[in-house]
Amino acid sequence: MAEKYKRDDVVAARVITLCDGPGCMHKGSKELLSALKDGFREKGLSYRDVKVNLSGCLGMCARGPVMIVNPGYTIYGNVGKADLEEILEEHIIKGKPVARLVIEENHLYNKFFRVFGDVGFFGKQMRIALRNCGIIDPESIDDYLALRGYEALARVLSSMSPEEVVEEVKRSGLRGRGGAGFPTGLKWDFTRKAAGEKKYVICNADEGDPGAFMDRSAIEGDPHTVLEGIIIGGYAVGASRGIIYIRAEYPLAIRRLEKAIKDAREHGIIGENILGSDFSFDVEIKLGAGAFVCGEETALIHSIEGSRGMPRPRPPFPSVSGLFGEPTLINNVETWANIPVIIMDGADWFSSVGTEKSKGTKVFAVAGKVRNTGLVEVPMGTTLREIIFDIGGGIPEDKKFKAVQTGGPSGGCLPEEYLDTPIDYESLARAGSIMGSGGMIVIDEDSCMVGIARFFLEFTQNESCGKCTPCREGTKRMLEILTRITEGRGMEGDIEKLERLGKTIKKASLCGLGQSAPNPVLSTIKNFREEYEEHIKEKKCRSGECRNLLEYYITEDCVGCTACKKVCPAGAVTGSPRERHAIDIEKCIKCGQCLAACKFNAVKTA
Amino acid sequence: MVKPIDNIKKKRAEAVNRIIGKGYLSTKRVYVGMATCEIAAGSKEIMQIFEEAVRKGLTDVYLSQKGCAGRCNLEPTVEVIEEGKIPVKYGKVDPERAREIIERHLKKGEIIEEWVIK
Ligand SMILES: Cc1cc2nc3c(=O)[nH]c(=O)nc-3n(C[C@H](O)[C@H](O)[C@H](O)COP(=O)(O)O)c2cc1C
Repeated sequence: MAEKYKRDDVVAARVITLCDGPGCMHKGSKELLSALKDGFREKGLSYRDVKVNLSGCLGMCARGPVMIVNPGYTIYGNVGKADLEEILEEHIIKGKPVARLVIEENHLYNKFFRVFGDVGFFGKQMRIALRNCGIIDPESIDDYLALRGYEALARVLSSMSPEEVVEEVKRSGLRGRGGAGFPTGLKWDFTRKAAGEKKYVICNADEGDPGAFMDRSAIEGDPHTVLEGIIIGGYAVGASRGIIYIRAEYPLAIRRLEKAIKDAREHGIIGENILGSDFSFDVEIKLGAGAFVCGEETALIHSIEGSRGMPRPRPPFPSVSGLFGEPTLINNVETWANIPVIIMDGADWFSSVGTEKSKGTKVFAVAGKVRNTGLVEVPMGTTLREIIFDIGGGIPEDKKFKAVQTGGPSGGCLPEEYLDTPIDYESLARAGSIMGSGGMIVIDEDSCMVGIARFFLEFTQNESCGKCTPCREGTKRMLEILTRITEGRGMEGDIEKLERLGKTIKKASLCGLGQSAPNPVLSTIKNFREEYEEHIKEKKCRSGECRNLLEYYITEDCVGCTACKKVCPAGAVTGSPRERHAIDIEKCIKCGQCLAACKFNAVKTA
Repeated sequence: MVKPIDNIKKKRAEAVNRIIGKGYLSTKRVYVGMATCEIAAGSKEIMQIFEEAVRKGLTDVYLSQKGCAGRCNLEPTVEVIEEGKIPVKYGKVDPERAREIIERHLKKGEIIEEWVIK
C-alpha cells in the first residue's frame, strides 16, 4: 500500500478510486476489487496505465459500493460486478462515462477529487475546512460565490431560526479545533441563552504554536469561508458584531481578510439587513502582537479590550461574560470554516465522517523528518501511521522513525508503538498526547528527545505571562534542569524532580498554558526515559544532537593535512604535518569546526 | 421582499458570468500558488512571468492565483487545468521552468512530465 504512494514516476490519466469504507465493504467493494483484477486481465489493462486507489470511507455509504473514475472524476454508485465490464470498456478504454450508474454528486467530493483525486498525497485526505484552499482565487468573492459561497448563510437567513442553527451544529458533533475540543454546538447554545445587552462573536486566529500554520493557510486560501461561518454564528447566538483576532505577523492573511470583508460588505453580505433579511452584523479585525498566551480565550479578550494579554480564572466562561463583560462566542478559525459545510450538507452527513466522539476532519501542519511536509486534512479516525507514511511519504533517507509530536508545546511525543492510534480527541489523550490545534512534528533517530522536550519548554517558559507562580517559576526551574541535562551536567534525581515539578505545574497553573507546558517533558520521560538516563548517567546523547556530550577524536584516516589544526579556535588539535593529529579533550570546546574542515572523514564523534 | 436565498442565487449567477467574462472558458486555466509559503518560495516572480506572457499576447489562457494546497516542500506550484483532462500541477517552479511551461505547455500543449507533482 505504502509503496503505491511512493511511485512518483507515473502520472495516471486514468484512475479508479474504489471506496473501501466499512459501508461499501459490506456491500461488496472487496469482491469488486478482485473482479477488477480479472477485468484488467481480460481487457489487457495494466496497473501502470490505470491507477487503482482505495479511498477509505467516502461518506456515500447509502449508495455503496461507490467508485470514482478518471477522466472526468465521475462518481458511480451501487456498482455491481456486472457493471464493471461496462465501466472498464466504456469509461476507461473509450473515455465515455456510463450514464446509468452515475449518482448525484456531493459537491465537496466532486470538487475535491477533480483537483486532487489522482495524487497519493491527497488520496487519504478529505477536505472540509480547506475545501476551497488551493482551488479558488482567495481574493475574488466571485470565485467563492460561484462555488455556492454564502449559500449556507442565505439558507440560514431564509429558512432557519437561530435555535435551529444551534441545533444543527450540536447534532453535527463538531468540536472546537483550537485545541481543547469543546463541543461547538453546546458553546453556541450557552452563548445564545446567556442574558446580555449585546453579544459578540470572536474568531481566534492567534495561532501561536511554533510551526503551526493551519489557520494562516485557511484564511489565506479561502477567507470567505471563515467569514461566512462567523456571520452564521452571529445570527445563531444573537450577536451584532464579530471580531477576528489575528496576529500581526500574518500580513497576507490580514490583507485577504480585509479584502474579503470589504467585498462582502459591497455585496450586502456584511452590514445592515444582510442579503435583504432583518439580520445585521458587522465584522472587524483586531491585530495581536503574537504572544502565545494571547491565544488563550480570556487573555485574548483582555487584549481586545486594550488591557495586558493575561488570562483570568474561568468560570465565568466567555459565553456568559466575555468581551466587555457581555456574552461572547469564541471559536477557532478551523472551527468556523466547518460551519458553512455543516449547513450545506447537513449535520447527518457531517457526523457520518469521523469517529464516534470526534466528527468531521482535522487539519494538520505536518513538519519535521517526513518526505512530504505540508498541510493535510484527514477524516478523524485516520491513524498517525497513515498520515506520516501514506500521506507524508515516510521518513527521508529511510531513517528510522522515532516519535511524532502532536499538540505543539501543550502536547506530547508518541513513539512507534502508538503509530496506529486513530486521530481523535480521546485516543490521542489516552496515548498520552493531545490533538491540539494541529501541529505534527515527525522525529527520526537523529533527534534527541531530551532536546525536543527542552525546545518546547523553552518556548512556553518564554511565553509564560508571569501572572501565576507555578507557571512562571516552575517552568523556569524545569528548563534549568533540562538545560543542564543536555549540557552533560545532569544529576541523579533530575528525572524525578522534573516529574514532580511537572505534575505540580499542571495542577496549580491558572490557565492552559501552564497546565499543559510540562506535557512535552512528561511524555518524553514516559516514553523515552532511557535517553534521559543516558544523558545523566553516561553523559551520552545517542542522537549526537547534544553537542556538549560529544567527544571528538581523529582516526587513522588522518593524513596530517593540518586543516583541522588551523581551524580549531581552542588550540586543542595537536600533530605535525603528514602525521596523524589528535584532539585534547580537555581543551576541546566541541564547536565541530575540525569535523567540518576535514576532507578525509577522519574526525569522528562518540 | 426578496428572500436571501434568491438573492444569493442571483449573485452567484452574476459572479459566474463575470468569471466567464474574464475568460474562464479559455482552453487552459493557470493557477499560481500565492500563499505566504508560496510567496516565500518565490511565487510572486512566477506570477509576474505569466502575467507578462499574457500581456505580450499569450491567448486562450485564464490566469488566476490560489491559496496553499499543502505541498510546502514543492513550492512554488503552478497548476494547469484543461477541461476534461487531468489537472497538471507543477512543483518547484522557478523563472526558467515558468518560461518553459509557457512555451511548451501553454503554447504547444506539451506536458512537461519531469516537473509534475505526483
Ligand atoms: C496558551 C493557550 C494558547 C491558545 N492558543 C490558541 C490559538 O492560537 N488559537 C485558538 O484557536 N485557540 C487557542 N487556544 C484555545 C482558546 O483558549 C479557546 O479554547 C479556543 O479559541 C476556543 O475555540 P474552539 O472551541 O473553536 O477551539 C489557546 C489556549 C491556551 C491555553
